[in-house]
Amino acid sequence: MKSKLLLPHACRMYGLIIFIPFLVLGIAYANSGFSFSFLDFKLPEYTNDSFHGKGNLTDEITALALIVSLLMIGFSEEKVEDEQISRLRLDSLQWSVYFNYLVLALAIIFIHGLNFLSAMVYNMFTLLVFFIIRFRWAIYRENRLITNLASHEE
Amino acid sequence: MKNNVKPERAMKNMTQASLAELIGVSRQTINTIESGRYVPSAVLALKISRVFDKPVNELFELEETD
Repeated sequence: MKSKLLLPHACRMYGLIIFIPFLVLGIAYANSGFSFSFLDFKLPEYTNDSFHGKGNLTDEITALALIVSLLMIGFSEEKVEDEQISRLRLDSLQWSVYFNYLVLALAIIFIHGLNFLSAMVYNMFTLLVFFIIRFRWAIYRENRLITNLASHEE
Repeated sequence: MKNNVKPERAMKNMTQASLAELIGVSRQTINTIESGRYVPSAVLALKISRVFDKPVNELFELEETD
């Protein structure tokens, strides 16, 4: 039973390799507005943004790279991809959707003004981050149980 | 659902890993099935029954709560 809509196993590592530098770039952008000047461009007319005047692609590229790399980390096949792993993945996905919206609800209640905008920006990525953490933890837990069992049997 | 996978496996002198390899799943999956934490699909149950050469309902049994 091949599960569909998953990337090859190797994509997880490539995802991680893309994720780390762009995470650093993203943090630098969010904290100090760091951007590469060669990525400046003239804003198209339709954006109607008289406040900025010119645009810079650093944040666009960073956001896209973070999303793509997180998807690659989260949705690559495991070494042995079987139905039990599929279930762990689905469970983790459901759990992370609940958890992400709980966090968002708390942000709606407690964070106001421009800070809320930042919270929404982080929220674009947290669903995938929570999912990956929960999924890896579930797999780690299974592996630990099996090693405990093995040491009992010997 | 109760199951007799572990005793059957012991009778055949198989490890979790070798059973896992025969039916194309991970060792973790066999472990979760044996400990009752995971209920396998019909396909997987049939594969296990083929390895042990026994009907599925001799390997898996419904419980009151199912």
